[in-house]
Amino acid sequence: MSEIAQVPLEKIDNYRWRIPKSYKPGMRVPGIIYADEKLLKDIRQDKALEQVANVAFLPGIVNASLAMPDIHWGYGPSIGAVFATDPDADGVITPAGVGFDVNCGIRLLKTNFQYEDIKDKIKDLVYALFNDIPSGLGSKGDIRVSAKEEREILVNGSKWAVENGYGTQEDLECTEEYGAIQGADPQAVSDRAYERGKAQSGTLGSGNHFLEIQVIDQLYGRDICDELGLTLGQITIMIHSGSRGLGYQVCDDYTRSMIHCLQKYNINVPDRQLACAPVNSPEGKAYLGAMKCAANYAWANRQCLMYLTRQVFERVFGMSWQKMGMDLIYDVAHNIAKIEKHVINGKEKTLCIHRKGATRAFPPGHPALPDRYKKTGQPVIIPGDMGRNSYLLVGTQKAMEETFGSTCHGAGRLMSRTAATKSINLDALLKELESKGIMVKASGRGTIVEEAPAAYKDVNEVVDVVHNAGISKRVCRMRPLGVIKG
Amino acid sequence: MDNYELIEHTADIGIRVKADNLDDLFKNAALAMFDIMAKRQTPTIAGQTQIEIKQKADDLEELFVNWLNELLCLSATKELIFCAFQINKLDENTLKAIAIGSNIKNYRVNTEIKAATYHQLKLKNDESGWQAEVIFDV
Repeated sequence: MSEIAQVPLEKIDNYRWRIPKSYKPGMRVPGIIYADEKLLKDIRQDKALEQVANVAFLPGIVNASLAMPDIHWGYGPSIGAVFATDPDADGVITPAGVGFDVNCGIRLLKTNFQYEDIKDKIKDLVYALFNDIPSGLGSKGDIRVSAKEEREILVNGSKWAVENGYGTQEDLECTEEYGAIQGADPQAVSDRAYERGKAQSGTLGSGNHFLEIQVIDQLYGRDICDELGLTLGQITIMIHSGSRGLGYQVCDDYTRSMIHCLQKYNINVPDRQLACAPVNSPEGKAYLGAMKCAANYAWANRQCLMYLTRQVFERVFGMSWQKMGMDLIYDVAHNIAKIEKHVINGKEKTLCIHRKGATRAFPPGHPALPDRYKKTGQPVIIPGDMGRNSYLLVGTQKAMEETFGSTCHGAGRLMSRTAATKSINLDALLKELESKGIMVKASGRGTIVEEAPAAYKDVNEVVDVVHNAGISKRVCRMRPLGVIKG
Repeated sequence: MDNYELIEHTADIGIRVKADNLDDLFKNAALAMFDIMAKRQTPTIAGQTQIEIKQKADDLEELFVNWLNELLCLSATKELIFCAFQINKLDENTLKAIAIGSNIKNYRVNTEIKAATYHQLKLKNDESGWQAEVIFDV
């Protein structure tokens, strides 16, 4: 990148940096970035910090415009942005604070297998998964739904999937919002959004979406690992996908309408992509109702993807998924806006929390958690790139106090897709991955190179920061064995 | 295609497009977008579909973004990759055009584009002609 951002930063402590409110006239709150000095050097290479400052312009923003250590340049807010607005103080909601892929998120399953049990089957599994799970641009699923059913999916999310035989009640307990966020309004979803989503249930999508077979290679919190039934050498599966075309269209429809709200509600923002409307306005309410539909669609989609994954394992190993212990650990959204209760200056407030490339990280005892995670805190799943590690963490009280119960969502990009395509050789990359014992199959030719490990920050460094800053706690680390990319 | 260049962006893809007139600017931007998404597999393509597009907007920037997003939506729902465009009417607020495309099966897909964004969007007209910069969410 040629332009280097000259955004002023004040050091708060080893893991937090402040963009003072005085940086730009119009900022209502300061920006706070979670990073160490090393990551900060990378962060300064693009325009992400400028975007953190831009978010601080939004009406009703509370405390600070926050950025997680995996922050990178996006559109509107950066990726890795967390911010809360107060609906009672004309606080706004912006589709750009959620992103086009509404409820892009990730789920982690465990198995009873140890690495030794399946090491000779990885290739079979990767081919079978690649074959059975529709992926790539415009891919269509085998799980076809009628118009009436699609409406049900938008309201009931994963619950629809479970009622139709694609999972169990336990799966719902282990999903953020129990797989169906309340208040979804199908009337607020346009016909074309319906149409764009119709054929895509049970499809992985393209770009950075993936399905990965992994092995646990490091345990941190022994007590929590015992509680979750996780051991060294155990095989896990990670599924990363979102709301596909339906979510893109919801975001597009409401960005179109909210561009006009800037004038209507006299809102001044430095980037038109930050188009927004008061949470309590008709436009704000309609967006929230439509966004929740897309979020539920995404949860149903990941539930269907998990169902297909379980089926593939059943076929390859000739036993039931229950016998293989393929239980869901948890499913988290990392592109979403939520109405949540948080304590601000000693008072409980109902706020609109935007997490764009950020994960909810609720602490032990939080009422939103199912009983099984009341003691441990909410599982937080952090995927890395296809050549390095992924992590399981849990939420903390400090996240509640500092980051509206939020943490990072992944490694964060370092290199542009074009730069990656220019500098990385596909054959050399595949050889390198193979030498590390990682097998990759992708539907888009460009995807493997664009998503190469060198294009990403080191997830280990990102997770170090959130752990050391105390906004989540490391539980265990996984490394990839087989990867299916969209 | 040589009438666009890529702009470096960490997470997404941006393009810079040039044209002698506004009609061609809209056409070239759309051609560039589909060129990034997919490459034709066969030299000739049978079974082309024509779709009429009408857009209204408050200003030219909004019209430009709406045009590209409209094409992405149609591409997804009709399973088409668009390869030619005919602009019938274009001013600050109105666009009438025909998009010509063929089934995605005739193409080798590179990457999905989710949407065109307003972030750092630039449209300008000077003595050297029209130029647009737009960042796509991929």
